[in-house]
Amino acid sequence: MSPAMSDTAGGARPVASRPAPEGLFKRQLAGILRLELRRSLLGRRALGLYFLAFAPVLLIALWAATPLPQKLYEGPAQTANQIAILFQFYLRFSIYLSALLMFMSLFRNELLERSLHYYFLTPVRREVLVAGKYLAALFSAWIAFFIGTVALYLLSCVPWGLGELGRYLFRGPGLANLTAYVVTALLAVAGYGAVFMLVGQYFKNPVIPGLVIWGWELINPLLPATLKKVSVVFYLQSFYPVPPPESASGWLFELFRVLAEPPPAWASVLGLIVFTGLVILAAGWRARNMEVVYGDD
Amino acid sequence: MSEPTAETIVFDNVSKFYGEVLGVNRVHLVLAPGITGLVGPNGSGKTTLMNLVTGLLKPSEGSIRVLDLPPDRPELLFSEIGYCTQYDAFPRGMSGYQFIYSFLRVHGYVHGEAERLTWKALERVNMTEAAHRRLDGYSKGMRQRVRVAQAISHEPRILVLDEPLNGLDPMARAEVSRVFEQLAGQGCHVIISSHILHEVDMFSDQVVFLSGGYVVAEGDVTGVRTDIEENKPIQVLVRCDKPGLVATRLFAAGAAVEVGLSEDLGGLLTRTRDPEKFYLLLNDVVLGDDVTIESVSVADANVRAVYQYLIGSEGEPR
Repeated sequence: MSPAMSDTAGGARPVASRPAPEGLFKRQLAGILRLELRRSLLGRRALGLYFLAFAPVLLIALWAATPLPQKLYEGPAQTANQIAILFQFYLRFSIYLSALLMFMSLFRNELLERSLHYYFLTPVRREVLVAGKYLAALFSAWIAFFIGTVALYLLSCVPWGLGELGRYLFRGPGLANLTAYVVTALLAVAGYGAVFMLVGQYFKNPVIPGLVIWGWELINPLLPATLKKVSVVFYLQSFYPVPPPESASGWLFELFRVLAEPPPAWASVLGLIVFTGLVILAAGWRARNMEVVYGDD
Repeated sequence: MSEPTAETIVFDNVSKFYGEVLGVNRVHLVLAPGITGLVGPNGSGKTTLMNLVTGLLKPSEGSIRVLDLPPDRPELLFSEIGYCTQYDAFPRGMSGYQFIYSFLRVHGYVHGEAERLTWKALERVNMTEAAHRRLDGYSKGMRQRVRVAQAISHEPRILVLDEPLNGLDPMARAEVSRVFEQLAGQGCHVIISSHILHEVDMFSDQVVFLSGGYVVAEGDVTGVRTDIEENKPIQVLVRCDKPGLVATRLFAAGAAVEVGLSEDLGGLLTRTRDPEKFYLLLNDVVLGDDVTIESVSVADANVRAVYQYLIGSEGEPR
């Protein structure tokens, strides 16, 4: 560490203390994570995340707590289908909206609150700033949706009784299905998060881009093969342990049906990582060229 | 204008447009270390100039070098720059201490060093007692002081301050001004925009006058005043025991274009286009006519007067 700043005789400029160059990048990233995790886990930003992640869990918990005869249990296959439908709604609404609100606010809210310049005035590459903000939000959302997905899954099976639940989980396909849903949820957060972080650097109002991207994801099965790959949902399809049942009715569910043949799982993971990486690179490039102009400058 | 060196801030033909709105236009400046005051009415381009130096804006045309580095490389430059903006905004839910400490950690300082620098900065602006109170409970003056503390916390070589004295009481203003003067005395750049002209006058080594996005004059105030004396004769206030006689002699010799006696008849205010001739003649009068001079001072070689001459009274700061 350089010597500390101290007054010197004759008014000469003192030697200022500067961070040690060894491991500087890691310390800067840790500094950003420290600030951002506090915001995304404990700040106002977290309220929307917790509501969207846990409100469906609460509803299922209430459903699970009602007396058994109403639930007309017909066996694990039926429950698996119900969970598949439930997860589609969780994915398309809770996870999508959480990513929209949380990741879009990473830059957008700081522009609205006029505090982005504090970050931009630190000796940190803007790409590192983008990575730090993304990782902090991703980590927070992962915690919420890991707990949310597991809770949703288990609560859906609670009415069977603990014995049957245990058999389904450990002797049947239950645990593998649960793992697949968790992986899908976490990958969805990562993919949508990157997209909305980039979008938040361009748009102040989240409604229009949110609707446009939602629409794009819905029509994904209808798109030509090349365009299909420019979406998050395309890569997620491979992980659905139980395809959403054909017997499910209702116009809304029809929209969620996967019409295209999903790619193999390894290709999906690779594709999603590449897709997310490219979007984050674009966000880094955008941040590097971003100017801080608050509304009434 | 100073020569560009590795210690200067150089604007080379810099223009900045916000769409079709002019921010600053064709700015050529070389700022040497010391205190530089930016003066101009609202919308004259002061904040734009500061945002350009600190890389928050990018020039539409031209280039900027800060200590021979481009401002769009934060990783190289921003350990050397501190900027106290005019935006009265902070990250939510933090205390003054947490605010400064957290951004020092983002700079890359380890815990102990960040803690030491935080307390040092808070001490310099006299905010240690309120350090652990939440920022949203601070008065305007306290928020301003904490922003200044954050800007100086990493001991930058360039300190950019946009209206840093706003909201401060006279005592705090004096304390904060002293910090700026100390930093400038140590060879740092301190760039200040202020609406309080007499304070700019008091502590600026050089002043940049801006109007409508253009730099209309720059340099030390006396030098700028001299540059415009052809169009704006210098006002000299002479306190003496025989003002009538002095006035007559000045007029007769053509050393003054206008003379007015003060109300108490203890002095005269003159305007001259040729200060050299004026002062020589004044010496002759003192020696030849036995006039006792109490004081001689230039009445309009200050920022306020120069501002009025160059920019006019429209939007004149305090």
